[in-house]
Amino acid sequence: MMKTLIAGALVVLCVAILVTDYVVADRQPFAARPAAEQKRVTAARLARKSRDNAVAWVLIAAAAAFLAFAKGMVKPEKPRAPSGRSATRGSRADEGVRPTLPELDLSFVDQVVAQIGRGKEAAIPLLGAIQKHYRYLPDEALRRVCELTEITPAEIAGTSSFYGQFRRSPVGEHIVRVCHGTACHVSGARQITEELRRYLAIPDGEDTDAARMFTLDEVACLGCCSLAPVLMVDGRTAGKLTPATACDALKVTA
Amino acid sequence: MECAVVLVGKTLGKLKHAPPKVIGRACVILALFVQIAAAQAIQYQRPVETAPQADSIGGRYKVPAVQKPLPRDYWLQVVDVVALAAAMGISVWLVLRRRSRRWLTALTVASLAYFGFYREGCICPIGSLQNVVVALADPKYSIPMVVTATFVLPLVVALYFGRAFCGGVCALGAIQELVVLKPVQVPRRLDRALGLLKYVYLGLAILFAVKPALTRDFPICRFDPFVGFFRRTGAPHMLILGGAFLVVGMFVGRPYCRYLCPYAGLLAWCTRLARRGVTITPNKELDCGLCREACPYGAIEKMRAVRRNCLYCARCYASCPRDGELARAKRVRSLPDGRGSEALSEPRPSGSECGAAS
Repeated sequence: MMKTLIAGALVVLCVAILVTDYVVADRQPFAARPAAEQKRVTAARLARKSRDNAVAWVLIAAAAAFLAFAKGMVKPEKPRAPSGRSATRGSRADEGVRPTLPELDLSFVDQVVAQIGRGKEAAIPLLGAIQKHYRYLPDEALRRVCELTEITPAEIAGTSSFYGQFRRSPVGEHIVRVCHGTACHVSGARQITEELRRYLAIPDGEDTDAARMFTLDEVACLGCCSLAPVLMVDGRTAGKLTPATACDALKVTA
Repeated sequence: MECAVVLVGKTLGKLKHAPPKVIGRACVILALFVQIAAAQAIQYQRPVETAPQADSIGGRYKVPAVQKPLPRDYWLQVVDVVALAAAMGISVWLVLRRRSRRWLTALTVASLAYFGFYREGCICPIGSLQNVVVALADPKYSIPMVVTATFVLPLVVALYFGRAFCGGVCALGAIQELVVLKPVQVPRRLDRALGLLKYVYLGLAILFAVKPALTRDFPICRFDPFVGFFRRTGAPHMLILGGAFLVVGMFVGRPYCRYLCPYAGLLAWCTRLARRGVTITPNKELDCGLCREACPYGAIEKMRAVRRNCLYCARCYASCPRDGELARAKRVRSLPDGRGSEALSEPRPSGSECGAAS
């Protein structure tokens, strides 16, 4: 700040000297004067010219210093500078010691098994009910199902991994479905997904952010191709996205 | 002779299947060669050497001491042209290969020092435009080869790589490039409308140059706003205008280059045929839009660089989280604790350097 002001003041001073020199310059006709006078005037003009040249160099140096200092001052103010973004992202990652899951209350499993039945045919209704209650299929609950019913662990594993709508890992509070249908793929769904992953700092191979707020899902088609590329946050659809606006679609929810 | 005919025939045969851009480039280069040949039609001679000397005048005439500086040595002029070509080569390499804004700034400062303050802004391709036009129009006017080369080189580079001359080589561009402080985005329509001014200026410059010898004028050089700074002297109104351009240039990126420079019009036409140029792709970059905000010249439309407006400043690469210095600095910083790389989240398959870190 101080350096910028000093350099700026120097610039103004140099400009003032040059302007004064130009304004007060002697402009009387030269030829009409006596020879001695002519020599003196010539010497004075040459001296002034060399002085002005020196002042001009100082002016250029001061202007360069002013710009260098001012650039340093201007930079941190940028609203969407990448450094600022990464700082917020970094803090997200810092708090990203995952919130530990609450101790599971398995009494619901006992209840639902008593309701639906213990046969092999009950596997899918059981898993559906458990997912509806816990929002995913906790390993403890599945183990409990095996203990209580005739269903083997292999069957449970097979069924729960075969159907796409069963989830084996905890989900975030909101589920973000990014459409990867043909129209959305062509208009850049991949870039939208990548930008969301970066924004939420989701590591490769996972689908939920550290704070368990959002789970990213790549779905086949949301049925509104005219709005491509599209994503759905819970029940709300956001269309005609760009990587820059995709993050805003999440902010409304959060 | 036969050989030559066969060669020409083969080239034409190849051209038949060549993409239109290649044919376009070939045509422009051919036109430039014709122009060189036409402009060089008269042997250039230095008037100083052909002027009457003391012994040819006689009558104990004494030649007065030369008041004006002698023209620059020919080999030094050739050095200038070579320096111009080298600077453009370095500019292309730094921007397209290294993607380094920092080194490009160093090149900009060097060009400003050499072509600007040392060579005092002369000769520059922008002004040489008028000399070339006069040489073509006036059968009694000839220009030295160095002037023609200065005029042609940036255009040829633009045919292949875009406006590499504008970034870090042109002295007028360099002084404006360095004063950019806090640029605002000019509204797109206003930007387009003002951009047409340069074609008007180009037309006027050609019109004044083709006039008969006595009424001829070189407006580009006469109204060059920055040459006064390079020479540290000049007409007061031009110095004030130049100062105004620089002050405006702190907030509107390179106003002279974008809206007035007549040579920029020619370069913009050539870039339409360019083979490569500054490109922003979803594969190498991100499509996050940071580059559009970083570009002070409005040369990124819909997340893609527009070659005819791109001034080769490499700010887009510098602002890219995945590219350039920013990414490199982040990667280095993130190595010690090993966690920052996660925040950077590099979706590409990790390169050798990342593998070594983990």
